[in-house]
Amino acid sequence: MRQSNAYIIIFSIITTIVLGGLLSIASVGLAPRQKIQVEKDTKKSILGAVMEVKKTDDVLSIYEKRIESLVVNINGDVVETDESGNPLIAENVSIEKNFKKSPEDRLYPVFLFKGSSNEIEAYILPIYGSGLWDVIWGYIALDKDLNTIKGVVFDHKGETPGLGARIAERDVQSRFIGRKVYDSDGALVSVSLLKGEGNAVKLLDDHHVDGLAGATITARGVNNMLLNYLNHYQNYLRKISS
Amino acid sequence: MELISLGIRSIFVENMVFAYFLGMCSYLAVSKKVTTAIGLGLAVIFVLTITVPANWLIKEFILKEGALSWMGPQFDTVDLSFLQFIMFIAIIAAMVQLVEMVIEKLSPALYGSLGIFLPLIAVNCAILGASLFMVQKDFNLIESTVYGFSSGVGWFLAIIALAAIRERLKYSNVPDGLKGLGITMLITGLMGLAFMSFIGISI
Amino acid sequence: METETLDLPIVKKEQSEGLLSKRRRKFVTDPLNDDNPITVQVLGICSALAITLKMEPTLVMSVAVLFVIVFSNLIISFLRNLIPNRVRIIVQLAIIAALVTLVNEVLKAYYYDMYKVLSVYVGLIITNCIIMGRLEAFAMGNKAWDSVLDGFGSGFGYAWIILAVAFFRELFGFGSLFGFEIFKAVGIENFPSNGLMVTPIGAFMILGIIIWIQRTKTGYVEH
Repeated sequence: MRQSNAYIIIFSIITTIVLGGLLSIASVGLAPRQKIQVEKDTKKSILGAVMEVKKTDDVLSIYEKRIESLVVNINGDVVETDESGNPLIAENVSIEKNFKKSPEDRLYPVFLFKGSSNEIEAYILPIYGSGLWDVIWGYIALDKDLNTIKGVVFDHKGETPGLGARIAERDVQSRFIGRKVYDSDGALVSVSLLKGEGNAVKLLDDHHVDGLAGATITARGVNNMLLNYLNHYQNYLRKISS
Repeated sequence: MELISLGIRSIFVENMVFAYFLGMCSYLAVSKKVTTAIGLGLAVIFVLTITVPANWLIKEFILKEGALSWMGPQFDTVDLSFLQFIMFIAIIAAMVQLVEMVIEKLSPALYGSLGIFLPLIAVNCAILGASLFMVQKDFNLIESTVYGFSSGVGWFLAIIALAAIRERLKYSNVPDGLKGLGITMLITGLMGLAFMSFIGISI
Repeated sequence: METETLDLPIVKKEQSEGLLSKRRRKFVTDPLNDDNPITVQVLGICSALAITLKMEPTLVMSVAVLFVIVFSNLIISFLRNLIPNRVRIIVQLAIIAALVTLVNEVLKAYYYDMYKVLSVYVGLIITNCIIMGRLEAFAMGNKAWDSVLDGFGSGFGYAWIILAVAFFRELFGFGSLFGFEIFKAVGIENFPSNGLMVTPIGAFMILGIIIWIQRTKTGYVEH
């Protein structure tokens, strides 16, 4: 009986239905929470560019209070609706998907970090590029002078642990704070990581920070990513500074 | 060019064994003799080259959010990706079974040499791992095939190299407690160190 | 008819056997050392090494594996007389895969940080041979409670080894434990972190040495 084909088929069908059903219930039941978690994660990394976010902080309410977002195009004009006319929400614009388009066609979200009396304290811009193995991304926050870096966060998909992966560490990211993206003539030069680590102090200036030992290519990826995206946001930055 | 680079990378730099620790169980269990290692290695290459693209199709046309839209617009928002694990492992088990039957029919000689390894492969984590990485890295169909094949080759190289070393190891004087698994672990570590020197290769 | 009278007391004895009798305690204690799934039976090594960079993900992984192994043992043991022999492997795989999916979904909903760290390795619990091995070797032929205990034993045996590996890797690789910077706390500011521990190589080395120490103690020699 236990070995007959009919029994096997019935048993398989019942198993499939029971397991499939249980998993669907679990998946549907947990989906809203998962969505919140993903949202929290994005908002946490956006806020991470300007402030230290602790595990216990209520990310969503801080975000709600202090961040205002908008989307611009390459010309620096604000875009309010997508092709089909639906309103655009900056948080839902996928930088990854836009990265695959040519720079002229991309949408560029901008996150404004506001102080207690509603004045803009920083401009947070998403950045995206390629590292050694895979993509890297992050956010750069510019102070209200639109020149001084208030903070950066980087993350990566598969950089070498202990070498390139260190771009995700706070002490590497803090090297960028206070540096300038424009030179004294007003030309965009961005900030780059030098080759190697422990460079002489005289090499470090407004546009150069100490690099990462053994991670030249990842560092080059970070430099390119910063320069490219600052370039793409240039029109917007010019517009709001005038 | 992209594809060659991807291939080289998955064989040497992101080697299944040395970088991701995948397929370790059979790697350690079947690496005592070079001939058996070759048999298992070939079988792994074979199964990986088939299952990764097969799972890609499953992911693309059944599991992904909106993947079912070919059945009609009302399925546009269906997201079945929570069934990913169960579907992938089922596909792998079915493929292994299918491959086993095909080989048995077409080439009894090959079946004789591969036969006992094929069922083992279904629970080899390198196989499932490659499919999961395929999803994570967002490959297309051709990339998935190349990735499956070259990950298999990487695993093949690793197990043959280890088997060759272990055959020679029989003649060395290893401390009792370190014999077998212990020394194999240390050797694998050293081999991984050698493979690490491929980091940074770009073509 | 002697057999019948002989049978009865045995059955009674089984019923009155304590929930944690000596025989049953062995199910839990054996895999911890003498019959450890990783260091003696050489099973489930893949995931054991990949996620042992730091203590926190390792602990989460141990709990996940423990959950899957205990419940799959329990379910298979309940169903052991119903599962057709010819499809038993696929049924076992399906049940494991379902439990792993559950773990994955829960992690994603409640512990997103760890979900990102563990990524594909949660899915690879499915092919963790410890679980398949226990189902095949134990749960298919034993009662539910015994199988649960067996699951706990194997799960803990797995857990303490990977926690030990993670302990050394995080301590020497980052100078911290659970993210808490130990060396800074005791006043050593410039603890030189060991790059080898951060790479996969460190995991192989430490596991090799743990196996060496354990086998020297137990006197087990592989030929």
